[in-house]
Amino acid sequence: MTLPTPTYPLLAALATVLLPFIGFLLSAIAGRRAKSGAISITAIALSVVAAGYTFANVWGGEPIHIQWRWFTIGEQAFHVGLLLDNMAVLMLLLVSIVALPVHIYSVAYMKGDPGIHRYWTFLSLFCAAMLGLVIADNLLLMYVCWEIVGFASYLLIGFWFTKDAAVQANKRAFIINRIGDIGFLIGFAILYAGFGTLDINALFGPQGLFATAAGASTAGSTVHGGLPAGWITAAGLAFFLGAMAKSAQFPLHVWLPAAMEGPTSVSSLIHAATMVAAGVFLLARIFPVFDDTVLLVIAATGTVTALIAAYFALTQFDIKKILAFSTVSQLGFMMVGIGIGLYPIALFHLATHAFFKCLLFLCAGAVIHEMQHLNDKHRLGIDPQDIRNMGGLRRYMPVTFATMLIASLALVGFPLTSGYLSKDALLVHAFEWAALHQGAAHIIPYVLAFVSVLTSFYIFRLLAKVFFGTAATPALANGQAKLHDPSAWMVGPMLFLAACSLFPLFTLHPLNDGHVWLLQGIAVSKPWPSLPLLHIVIPVGAAFATLAVAVWVWRWYVGGKYTAKTDGPLYRLSFHQGYLDGLYDRFVVGTVLRFAGVLRWLDTYVVDGLVHGLTTLGRSLASAAGWVDQRIVDGLVRLFGKLAWGVGNVVRRTQTGRLQGYFASLFLVILVILLYHIIVQA
Amino acid sequence: MNPHLLTILIFLPLVAATAMFVVPAGKRNAYKYIALATGVLQLVLSGGMYYLFHPKGAGISQERLYQFVDHVPWIRLDMGNLGRLEIDYFIGVDGLSMPLLFLSALVMVIAIGASWNVQKSAKGYFVLLMILDMAVMGVFSALDFFLFYIFYELMLLPLYFLIGIWGGARREYAAIKFFLYTLFGSVFMLLIIVGLYFSVTNPETGAHTFNMLHMMDPANYVPGSFFSALAKQELFGIPARLLGFIVLFIAFAIKVPIVPLHTWLPDAHVEAPTPISIILAGILLKVGGYGILRICFSIFPDAAMQSAWWLGLIGVVSIIYGALVALAQRDLKRMIAYSSVSHMGFVLLGVASFTTEGTAGALFQMISHGFLSAALFFLVGMLYDRVHDRGIYHFRGLATLMPRYTVFVAIAFFASLGLPGFSAFIGEVFVIIGAFNAESANGLLPRWMAIAGSVGILLSAAYFLWTLQRMFFGQPRLKGGTVWSEALTDASPRETVIMVPMLVLALALGVYPALALDKINASVLALVELVTK
Repeated sequence: MTLPTPTYPLLAALATVLLPFIGFLLSAIAGRRAKSGAISITAIALSVVAAGYTFANVWGGEPIHIQWRWFTIGEQAFHVGLLLDNMAVLMLLLVSIVALPVHIYSVAYMKGDPGIHRYWTFLSLFCAAMLGLVIADNLLLMYVCWEIVGFASYLLIGFWFTKDAAVQANKRAFIINRIGDIGFLIGFAILYAGFGTLDINALFGPQGLFATAAGASTAGSTVHGGLPAGWITAAGLAFFLGAMAKSAQFPLHVWLPAAMEGPTSVSSLIHAATMVAAGVFLLARIFPVFDDTVLLVIAATGTVTALIAAYFALTQFDIKKILAFSTVSQLGFMMVGIGIGLYPIALFHLATHAFFKCLLFLCAGAVIHEMQHLNDKHRLGIDPQDIRNMGGLRRYMPVTFATMLIASLALVGFPLTSGYLSKDALLVHAFEWAALHQGAAHIIPYVLAFVSVLTSFYIFRLLAKVFFGTAATPALANGQAKLHDPSAWMVGPMLFLAACSLFPLFTLHPLNDGHVWLLQGIAVSKPWPSLPLLHIVIPVGAAFATLAVAVWVWRWYVGGKYTAKTDGPLYRLSFHQGYLDGLYDRFVVGTVLRFAGVLRWLDTYVVDGLVHGLTTLGRSLASAAGWVDQRIVDGLVRLFGKLAWGVGNVVRRTQTGRLQGYFASLFLVILVILLYHIIVQA
Repeated sequence: MNPHLLTILIFLPLVAATAMFVVPAGKRNAYKYIALATGVLQLVLSGGMYYLFHPKGAGISQERLYQFVDHVPWIRLDMGNLGRLEIDYFIGVDGLSMPLLFLSALVMVIAIGASWNVQKSAKGYFVLLMILDMAVMGVFSALDFFLFYIFYELMLLPLYFLIGIWGGARREYAAIKFFLYTLFGSVFMLLIIVGLYFSVTNPETGAHTFNMLHMMDPANYVPGSFFSALAKQELFGIPARLLGFIVLFIAFAIKVPIVPLHTWLPDAHVEAPTPISIILAGILLKVGGYGILRICFSIFPDAAMQSAWWLGLIGVVSIIYGALVALAQRDLKRMIAYSSVSHMGFVLLGVASFTTEGTAGALFQMISHGFLSAALFFLVGMLYDRVHDRGIYHFRGLATLMPRYTVFVAIAFFASLGLPGFSAFIGEVFVIIGAFNAESANGLLPRWMAIAGSVGILLSAAYFLWTLQRMFFGQPRLKGGTVWSEALTDASPRETVIMVPMLVLALALGVYPALALDKINASVLALVELVTK
């Protein structure tokens, strides 16, 4: 069962996961004494080192797989194990390396919070669970980590638990994720029923059940284990449901914007590599399970999500909400990558996105932090997250501005950034894929191209409103107050992430995604021919479109050339995020609660009423019996008694003791007998 | 090793109860210390037995595979034409009963700890508690049906008084309701026991017997007897064996409880004092599940298989119905009572699958629910002790006032809603997997039942988290104002000492389920083999 394996990378991978976990335990035990976060930061820093070592040893080499028996049910053993292949070690490194700057940033960002010891505890748990998820060797263990990731995010989103909005948001996040969990659970229940194993390598590995069966049958992937044909499709859809909830796909995305109630540093982690990435990673991990139907569903859902989220982002004023919808939109792109069958590209976009989105949030956090200080100091009573209260901040916070600009350019896919490489790869392949498909699939790449334009618009709008123009806050505008770049604890991580958002991290060819080491490490054969023309047209077109939008936004928001019509239905639909929250509250939550209320009523008055009815019936029967007993049964008894008494009463009169009477009676009796004899026997 | 370990375990509380009678009523504190000492001794004893218990001891239908067996003739009576009456004192444990015995001992200690402040006639209270303790230990060990029935009925009596005397405002109503409900089931059970007695003979002596293990072997049935599988007797147009199964099932299902025979449970829980709630949820409900496995399934496997679809349906309905009604509750204790209905529904769904995964999952769920529900009721009791109120809407922001208590509640809630790392997760997941597998393994349950059951996992998250949000988070706002906020002190050391072991155990079983699964595995395999062969 256990393959002979090189030990050091394995131990390093184990350490990568266990270090933050130990950090979690130690922080939990230390309680209020763990305010400084030294435990958590040390743990994650060592974790990065261990992950780096693992990565260096495993990447490009043979996968390492080890497992230990966990428990046995019946004759079936379940294991805990590690599967270290390229995909796993890549994610291992990515998650830890994104988590480290967030930890360091938090030192300054969360300074002075009374509950900060909880923050470090939860943060360590969050990282440990996500790191465990990426190297889990079977679906059960993955599911365990998957749920703990959700649990840790619940704790972190509701970190400020006295804030109503925060505790509403974390409840919502957990419950929506539970919908996805059910999908995941049913998905692996189907696979277990069909194949009798949950081992990822045994199912989906190069020699796995799916691979061999697919190779054996000529008609493509017609693997069903012992199951009827439709069940594999069902399993694929169920797993996708899990990923939809975790990776915030429409219509289950609503928890992610709401989750902005947590600390910004947490948002950056959730949006980068730790929470939402889990869904995309899951789909990549179990990719062979998907048949064409499911892939098409995934691509379509991703497209719709990308479009709708970008559309909602256009009109938001909360700086974090804009970024949240941006994440949802980008996750849609990644889903399309899975849907067109090229999961390496989805993972590539996941990796590039992790860096620049984390950076965007950290920059936003820096801005919010400063605005909050301004607000507190001058008692302005403004919402520190509202971009309408900002403006002109680039003069005060040049480093923040520069790093955020880099992150934004990466987001829109501007040349020389990492985002350019992954996004264009995605777009180009989507076009190639669509060329082979009929019907509605053709729309997908065009929609994505359109979404790219929207992306440029909303992120440039954000930049323009926050950093350009004149300061909207009077205290700032008339020079009473000053803002400045945050401390080195925050700037350091931001600079590091900014460096990671540029092309050299992934390839030395700034404009060509063909040489990205990441894509070479996790390669799949592309089932269609390349269209060379697209590789030129799309990047060039995209770059020009971005520039055009930038100019347009500049004229609009900085130059004040246009004003937005804010009363149109399209604007309002976008501003209210499609009214989805209200719809869900009214129709889904409301319906369930009403139904629950009806059942409670039924339970009290019908089910229990029946019991009471039976009791009443029993009691009336009893009182009827009592009546019968008293009046009839006992009545008869009394009747006999009375009768006896009456008879006795009559008879006792005979017992007078007077001799004359006795003789008279005697005489009468004899007379009667005589008369009887004379009359009857005559 | 003492060969009568199990007997000692069962009758230890009886000794304690006798001792209590001797202690004069003036020394109130003596009773609880005697009770606690007994409880701890039992816990150590059952823990030791658990450790010694050999995992290969499958038990189920073979006496030689039971452990800690005590088998002596008890009543022998010549009854003329009817033959010789044979009742044995026959006890023993296998993988089904061993974890439940340990669980019972643990829950008893918790319950005694929760009774620490009982003022009203402490002597009577603790004596009744000890009798109850003896009865539950006996139920989980008895292998003679007559003996089982005696212990089974003996449980009712102390419970009736414990609820009826030491309970809340409507205690008498609740006590009578509980008593009648359970009696309703067990009276008919007696008829089946008698029927079985006359159908089964002891292969060694040829006399009729109450030995359950003999009842599990079709060869021991008298040809042509009422419950003989070959005779195909009928009563009211229903096959006799099916009827026997149904009657026994209803008797145990009332205890589980299943929807729609569950309405005694919320009332009993709400009116019962905290320790009795703990015992009800922690032990009594498990007697139902245990009876179904040990008796209904093992003695009437054919009828059980026939009824699988209905059992699964009842399980699914209980899961979803219980969860939805829990969602609509405004009283914390009632909410938890209905969540018990929902969680015990998983037990039924699991056993109805007749797969090893499902059965093991169900058994695991019983163990896990045993101490998680005990923990939950204990937590409610802590709140009620302080302010004598349990309304969910009467509290807000408790996390600020009682941080340690909130941590306990949050852990208990998340453990109950099936967070991985805690025991309920393993139970629920394997019930779902087993139910799902049933269609390919034996075709007894359709797959939609597993899917419907998993909706219960979602709903449990909804009602637990909603409660957490309403009562514990946000700014503090209490119905009772400052009086309450002064009364609401954080968990005391005694309460902490009681809570921590339960949560640690839930965690230990969740992280390393083999602690329990290794002991129950052989029995589960044997049971599934016995039923589905």
